Amino acid sequence: MAVATATAPPARRVGLGGITGSPLALKVVVGLLVLALAVPLLHNGYYENLFRGILMFSAMALGWNLIGGYTGYVSFGNVVFFGLGAYTSATLASHGIENVWVAVPLAIVVAAMFAVALGVPILRLKGHYFGIATLGIALAVQEIVANVDALGGGTGVTLHQAAWYSQYYYAMWLVCAGSLLVTWFIARSKFGYALVAIRENEDAAAVLGVNATYFKVAAWAISGMMAAAAGAVFAFSTGFIDPPSAFSVDNNVFPIVMVLLGGIGTVAGPVVGAILLTAINETLWSHFPQIHTLFFGAVIVIVVLFLPRGLLYLQNARGGLRGMIDSLSAYRV
Amino acid sequence: MALVVDSLSAAYGDTQVLWDVSIRIEPGEIVALIGSNGAGKSSLLGAMSGLVKKRGGTVVYDGTDLTALQPDAIVRAGVVQVPQGRRLFNSLTVHENLLMGAYLRNDKEIASDLERVLEMLPRLRQRYEFLAGKLSGGEQQQVAIARALMARPKVMLIDEMSLGLAPVLVDQLLEILTTINASGVAILIVEQDVQTALEFASRAYVLETGRVTIVGPTSQLLDDPQVQKAYLGV
Repeated sequence: MAVATATAPPARRVGLGGITGSPLALKVVVGLLVLALAVPLLHNGYYENLFRGILMFSAMALGWNLIGGYTGYVSFGNVVFFGLGAYTSATLASHGIENVWVAVPLAIVVAAMFAVALGVPILRLKGHYFGIATLGIALAVQEIVANVDALGGGTGVTLHQAAWYSQYYYAMWLVCAGSLLVTWFIARSKFGYALVAIRENEDAAAVLGVNATYFKVAAWAISGMMAAAAGAVFAFSTGFIDPPSAFSVDNNVFPIVMVLLGGIGTVAGPVVGAILLTAINETLWSHFPQIHTLFFGAVIVIVVLFLPRGLLYLQNARGGLRGMIDSLSAYRV
Repeated sequence: MALVVDSLSAAYGDTQVLWDVSIRIEPGEIVALIGSNGAGKSSLLGAMSGLVKKRGGTVVYDGTDLTALQPDAIVRAGVVQVPQGRRLFNSLTVHENLLMGAYLRNDKEIASDLERVLEMLPRLRQRYEFLAGKLSGGEQQQVAIARALMARPKVMLIDEMSLGLAPVLVDQLLEILTTINASGVAILIVEQDVQTALEFASRAYVLETGRVTIVGPTSQLLDDPQVQKAYLGV
C-alpha cells in the first residue's frame, strides 16, 4: 500500500463521483461508435455484418455487465432475453408487421415484464445458485419455444427483410449506443452505487437502507432489455430464427467473456471486450479454420488467469499494474 | 423516545433462535448486550434492523412500530446498525462508503455532516480517497462507524466492534463512541469482550441461548458471581 501523504486532502468532494471506470477508454469507445456509423457507406457486406455483430455483442455485454458486473449477480442465462427479443420480432413478422422499429420497443417491454416476473423469486438466490437458476430458465424457455407451434416450433420462423438492408445496421447501432448511454447514466447515479453496494456487501447495503430486491430486479430488467433489443434486430438482420439460433450457447457465453476481457463493472469495458473478442475470433477463424476454437479457449483461459477483472483495470486509476498483481495474488495464481 | 423490544421471538426456518427477548434502550443511554457465541446477539440485532424475520413480539421506537417495517424504513426511523465484521464496500473509497451511509437522505446537510464525521475521525480524512478494502482493521471499523453516523442515527446498534482488533484500537474506538453518545445518540453495544462492554455501558443484558437471563446496571453485573464465573473468568 502507498504511504499516506502527510497533508490531509480537504473533504471538498461530496457528490458520488461515479463508478464509470477509465474516462479515456470511454472516450475511445464513443469515438469508435461514431466512426461505426459510417460502416454501411462502404457498401461492403462483410464489414457491415462484422460490425453489426460487434454492436450486437456490445449491447449484450453491456446488459450482462449491469447484472453480472455492477450488481455482482453472475447470470448464465441472459441469452433468454436475446431469444425473447428475437421471437418478439418473429411473432410480429408472422402477423405481417415486418418492421424492426416496432419490434425493438416491444421486445424491450416483453423483456422487462419477463425480468420482473422471474426476477423477484430468482434474485433471492445468491452466488452459484443464481447462476444455475438463470441457466435453467434459458434452457427451459428454449424448450418451451421449440414446442409452441404458434412460434414456429422447432422449424423456426422466416422474416422478410426490407429492401433497405442497412436499416438493421443502424437499428443495432442505436441499441448499442442506447445501452452504453444507459450504463453511463447508471454508473454515475445513486442507482449505480446501490448496485455496487449490493455487489460488495448485500447485508451492509440493506442495513444502510438500500432496498436490495428492488435494485436487483431493476438491474436485471434493464440488463434484459438491452439483450432483448439486440435480439429483436438480430432476428430481422439474419432473416431466419429457430430456437437453437435464438438461444444459442455462443450468445450466452460470448458476452460474459467480453465483459471479463474488457473490464467488469466499467462502462466502456464491455464494448472494448466485444471489439477485441470479435477481432480475435475473426482472425483465428480465418487463419486456423480447423482449430480456431482451441485458440479461442486458450484466450479465455489467459484472460481469466491474468486479467480476471479485464483490460481496463490495467490503466484504470483504481487498478493499474499494482491492481493486476493484487488480483493475481487474490486469485492465487 | 426509548427503543423498546418486547417479547421478541425469531427463527431461521425451523430453528428458533430468540425466545421472548425484551430489552429497552433509553434516549442517550449506552447499553451492552453480552453473551457467548451463538447466544443470539447478532440475530437480535438482525431482527431489530429488519434483516431477520420475527416470529412474535414488537419493536417500537419513539412511538413508531418498527416490527413489520423493511430495513430501509427502520434506518429512516433512526435505528442504524454497524454490522459485525465491518462489512464495508471494499472497492469503493472511504469517501464513497461514507456517502453510502447517507443513501436514504436527500437533504442539504450531507456535506456538513461529512465534515463533522471527519472532524471526529481525522484518520479517515487522511484515508479519504483510499479504497476501503485496503485499510487496516482499525481504520475499517472507523469507516463502519462513520458510515452509520452518516445516516443520522438516534440509536446505533454496534455488533462486535472489537472483533480482531488490538486492545489499544478498541480503546480508541470506545472514545469515539463516547463522543458520539455525548452528541445524543443512544448506543447498544454487542460484545463478546464482556469486560470491555461492561466497563463502557451503564446497563447490560445477558443473552443465553436466545433468552435474556440477567439484566441490570453494569456495576452490579461486574460483581455478579454468575457473570464473573461465566464471562469474566474470575
